[in-house]
Amino acid sequence: MRLKPASRQTRAAPVLTPGFCRTLGRPLRLRFLWLAFVTATGCLPAFAPAIAGSFAFVTNQNSSDLSVLDLVQRLELRRIPVPGKPAGVAVAPGLGAFYTVSPDSKTVRAFSLVTCEEIASVKLPGGPTGIAVDPVSNRVFVSDWYNARIFVLHGSDLKWVSELPAGSAPAGLVVSADGSWLASADRDADQVSIFDLDSMTLKARIDVGVRPFGLNLDPQGRLHVANVGTDTVTVVDPITAEVLGTVSVGARPYGVAFAGGKGFTTDQYADTVSIYSLETLEPLGKIDVGEYPEGIGTAINGELLVSTNWFSNTVSLIDPHEQVVLGEIETGDGPRAFGNFILETPTGERPCAPD
Amino acid sequence: MLRRLLPLPAVFLALGMFAVPLLTPERADAHGPTRQKITLTAEVAAAPGEVWAAIGNFQDMSWHPAVHETTGDGGNEIDATRVLTLGEAGGPTISEVLYKYNSDKMTYSYRITDVKVEVLPVTNYSSHLTVKPGKNGGSLVEWRGAFYRGYPNNDPPENLNDEAAIAAVSAVYKAGLDALEARFSAN
Repeated sequence: MRLKPASRQTRAAPVLTPGFCRTLGRPLRLRFLWLAFVTATGCLPAFAPAIAGSFAFVTNQNSSDLSVLDLVQRLELRRIPVPGKPAGVAVAPGLGAFYTVSPDSKTVRAFSLVTCEEIASVKLPGGPTGIAVDPVSNRVFVSDWYNARIFVLHGSDLKWVSELPAGSAPAGLVVSADGSWLASADRDADQVSIFDLDSMTLKARIDVGVRPFGLNLDPQGRLHVANVGTDTVTVVDPITAEVLGTVSVGARPYGVAFAGGKGFTTDQYADTVSIYSLETLEPLGKIDVGEYPEGIGTAINGELLVSTNWFSNTVSLIDPHEQVVLGEIETGDGPRAFGNFILETPTGERPCAPD
Repeated sequence: MLRRLLPLPAVFLALGMFAVPLLTPERADAHGPTRQKITLTAEVAAAPGEVWAAIGNFQDMSWHPAVHETTGDGGNEIDATRVLTLGEAGGPTISEVLYKYNSDKMTYSYRITDVKVEVLPVTNYSSHLTVKPGKNGGSLVEWRGAFYRGYPNNDPPENLNDEAAIAAVSAVYKAGLDALEARFSAN
């Protein structure tokens, strides 16, 4: 039986079920071996495991749409119209959905991961910007850049639940893996706010560098906050609210991601990705990428970094171990991907009802 | 072209004269929700080296018709600064800093560190100016900009919205590129 891995995956598992992404995928090199076997023999053994899928959901702010990228095949699967200049994005496999925030039209949308059709939308007051999803309670959090608050919405229908008080100009949001806390980067307050999600109360405020915008959670559960005003990353223990260290990175760091024991930032003004050690928090070098790099995420089980290039209208695919750019995929105009924009499907499901 | 866009009431003349380069007020980096970008290009009938010689000095913006005077420090080194005086002596100013410079690739990148939104309705402005080989031994000059609208808060007035920012920067670029085209077409 001749096959393309993609079409086989489609037949094997056409439906994305909640929680399908929770099991661990297979290491990349094993998948390459298996691919080589299938290619060489032209047949597919009945016992063969599915090929894991890895996808990026990239908000293209200037063209008001979203590129769904297949990171294994390195191509754009689908371009979905998203009116209102979307930037914020959150992929939530547990809810079978991804979410976008369009600040110009102040609209948050939910799309099905299976069909990539819109399933809910809500217009919010103020300046909705960043977005994150609590994988446990299925609540969605949206920062209001202009009113120092965070909207709490139902994940399924985007109905309003409540609000949390952030510092001035909250931007990036991240929720702990166990859903116990939420952190917001309060840009104009030069701080991070941490909220307890059981009691829905403010737990701590931590001073970081100047103008924190993007933030992310490393594999050890530490917060890494990119400070665009000081070209640094502040590393914070979210439980004790202590600052653990500060790393110097390139000019205007925007996004942070992790792979292979290292942290990576996109440096908007330097057109680089900076690398630092998660153990020593010392800088380890830089990689040249496209112009105005923004969102960055880890894919293919930590074997690939994906960074969007806002000016170049591409994503750069980076090998985090060799620290080289492997290739690029074209996107729409002005890719931002501000938030968790990567979908991993260990058993090979493909989003957007593939043909 | 820029000059036509610029009302020059006495208050701006005064502000321009007393503006302190590189003094960034607190929260000058506040910005709107959507960063804008534009790229304008022009075919210029001269070899890239010749065009770069005319525009590749960060300290000399005299090739742009809206610029009356360029003063600055640091030559073409990273972090060099310049202050452009627009229109006439005592006119409004734009303060800029150089953050990339590569004469081999004939490109430099700079940011605005201080400008009144009444002069150019943008914030957080960065730009690249590049000379590339063009058709028939000529050059392609590319001018790119990334910026936010002039109004940093929600629901901007019309004169400080995204469209106004794009129109203003486009007009500046077009005026400069038109002047280059005209200058070298006479050869």
